[in-house]
Amino acid sequence: MDQIVSQFLLKSLHIILDSRIPSLHPNDQRSDRRTSVSRARKNDKWFNLVLGDRPAALENLNFWHRNLMDPMIIDIILVHEGPNSSSVDAYSAIKASVETVIERWVVHYESPRVTPNINDSSLHKKIYKKLIVLLRSLYSQMRLLPAYRTFRQLSSSSQTYNVNLIYKVSTFCNPFSRAEGEMMKEYTFAPVETSSGRFSVAVSYRKTLSDFNLEPATSMIPRIITDYVGSPATDPLRSFPSFGKGVQATSFPSSGVGQPSSAPFQRPHSWTSGFHRPAPFSQGHSLGGSPPTYGAYGSPSPPTDMYSQRAQSYRSPSQRVNSYEEYQLSPPFSPSPSPSPPAYFSSGSVGRNRGRSETAPMTIPHPTASGNARYLSPNFSDPNRHSLPPLSPRHTRLDPSSQESPSGHRSFRRPESLRSGELHYHYVNQKVTRDGRDDSGRFSGLLSSSGSPRIGFSQSSSRLSFQDDLDDGDFSCPFDVDDVDPPASNTGDGREGSESTSSSLPMGTKSQGAAVGMLVQMLRAAPPLQQDASCYSTQSLNTEQEGAVATASGFFMPRKTTDALEELRSYREMKNILLSKSGARVITKEEA
Amino acid sequence: MNCEVCNLKELEVEHYEIREVLRCVLHTIIFHRALGLVRPKEIDLELFEITYVQCGDPEVEKKIEEKIEQFIGWVEKHPNKKSQICLSFYEVKNKHGSWFSKQIEQLHWEHWYINLNVAQQPKVQSVKSHNSKVVDTGENNLEDRSIRRAALEASLRDVLFQIIRFVNDKKEHVPPIPNREGVISFPYEIILPSSSDSAFGMDMIKRMLQTGHPTMLS
Repeated sequence: MDQIVSQFLLKSLHIILDSRIPSLHPNDQRSDRRTSVSRARKNDKWFNLVLGDRPAALENLNFWHRNLMDPMIIDIILVHEGPNSSSVDAYSAIKASVETVIERWVVHYESPRVTPNINDSSLHKKIYKKLIVLLRSLYSQMRLLPAYRTFRQLSSSSQTYNVNLIYKVSTFCNPFSRAEGEMMKEYTFAPVETSSGRFSVAVSYRKTLSDFNLEPATSMIPRIITDYVGSPATDPLRSFPSFGKGVQATSFPSSGVGQPSSAPFQRPHSWTSGFHRPAPFSQGHSLGGSPPTYGAYGSPSPPTDMYSQRAQSYRSPSQRVNSYEEYQLSPPFSPSPSPSPPAYFSSGSVGRNRGRSETAPMTIPHPTASGNARYLSPNFSDPNRHSLPPLSPRHTRLDPSSQESPSGHRSFRRPESLRSGELHYHYVNQKVTRDGRDDSGRFSGLLSSSGSPRIGFSQSSSRLSFQDDLDDGDFSCPFDVDDVDPPASNTGDGREGSESTSSSLPMGTKSQGAAVGMLVQMLRAAPPLQQDASCYSTQSLNTEQEGAVATASGFFMPRKTTDALEELRSYREMKNILLSKSGARVITKEEA
Repeated sequence: MNCEVCNLKELEVEHYEIREVLRCVLHTIIFHRALGLVRPKEIDLELFEITYVQCGDPEVEKKIEEKIEQFIGWVEKHPNKKSQICLSFYEVKNKHGSWFSKQIEQLHWEHWYINLNVAQQPKVQSVKSHNSKVVDTGENNLEDRSIRRAALEASLRDVLFQIIRFVNDKKEHVPPIPNREGVISFPYEIILPSSSDSAFGMDMIKRMLQTGHPTMLS
């Protein structure tokens, strides 16, 4: 009989945890979990209910649940990140997490008196049978209560949210406060009476969970460093190699993907002109934030245009394949991420992002980049800034530094922005100085999974932009020519007119190209990018660009402007795409 | 034995919802009564935000699907009618020489009545629908539909709760699990409404006769 009791407790705990705690079986397809168990473990066959792997917690049950007669109280707690995390410094701020008990299960074998175990097998059989039925109904009930929806949402692998479900098992509990009690509804399963006691299972559950907004942890999204200028060293970064990485990044797998995405995201910071890879740095930065924040992909759909913008900026770099200077960036990249995107991502993975500052050669000697950053910042600064608080300071700094003048002091440091970017991308920016297209860095953070490919692009694009910037000679106004807008969808090349490497974009995937194109579009559309207003106009703004475009003013060079515009466009596109994904349609107008 | 009867709350379904609703209800009931070794399978309904559990036995699934198809066929012939599906669990007893002179007797110990009211959705052009405004029929229809669907979802949830409560409350009458392999421990049958109302009543009477005397389960 004791065995029945203990197994019953174990089994009920197993059932409850299985359907409430997402972390127990991460990334497990429930169906897989079930079907894969072809042969149930012997222990699992208790009560004729095969549940699959037993969470480790159950193993410990025996240790702490010394007395079988004690009630087993399982609290399902919803941990909600505080609202302040949405503001800047999500990382640095201490998130106030609010814990709320949304369900309290009490499983109890009440035995008022110690009776000798009646080893009556028929009785036992009856009891066992009834317990089977009880557990079945418990199993079904788990799925009917409101908390199940929350669990399903959290365990779906596509996003990380700002809430988490944890549990706590104890043998006593603090009763609910009055207010809490009012929100709870009770349900008691019919107890199973035995001669020596009775089994009871009861639950107090919160009637509605709408108070908790399950939002994708977008707040964690790395902010785009609008001012991010590609790191001076970016040239090598800019290149597509990063791009390739960027592409990878786009894969945004859920949880953990964040990392890869981060890689491209780093770029966002490197808004700069060439989307040079400095962006990657920034992206990394921004992403950096994200990965830690959300387990899942670091940059969930960047809700803001900034992301889109970034993406666009990235696009340009990507387009620029020609700017092979950018390839130089790759070496920089190598340090952190291996050239192969996958590797990149791993390196860029979030954890690193923050810490990666070293990767970014920080100083982006890119005058242009700084310049870009400058004008980009106007556009992006606002939206982007706030998103990437850590970076923003940098940006501001950078802005002045990066001035338009090509001399650029690449002070804008992408490094700063990059700091998060860990990804080596930042170095890309070296070249960027010229165009100051750091924005690309920023874009990295943007897009959500869908956009991720874009981001990758943006990075590359940003890189490209940087490249362009850096090499005036080489990229003569990469963005000058609006012709680049070619299959914006595909490759974002549009950015560079001359260099536009749209075709040459190594973008492997169409989506990437699209992302890049978007970035470019965005950049192009960036109203602020005045100089080549004409360029803008010519740019086929396929993607709606939000007004987030970098201000045209301040572009010192037509090229940069164009680049920036392209970047903006691309970002805008990305943003729009993101928004449209979320149902918002943003039509961007050409600010130019 | 005690034959317990559970009358489930009536559900107003539209034609296209029948399948999902029936699947959900039937599988849930059977999951709670299939006391053999079960690998539960969770199924999300497409039309509603409800997840139910199947017992995972392909035979059961097949049988249920067949019955659902039959039912749909019946509904199409008898539109706009309230219908009832009966899911019964029985025990097979070998009875020798009773006056029924049957060797094998089915002793039903549980009946579940699933009450459905299939609303035939009137075509948009038709006037007799309850949203009879012709002007805005399209929109009204959609709105009504969503309202009805929300109501149906709530009702379906209630029905599932009802099932769980019933399953929990009444456990005494469940016969001992026979030593048989497989998931389904008790034989069951699904009885659909037959083609005529009167015959349906006859079926009920027949069924009642078959259950025999209620005897307490030892």
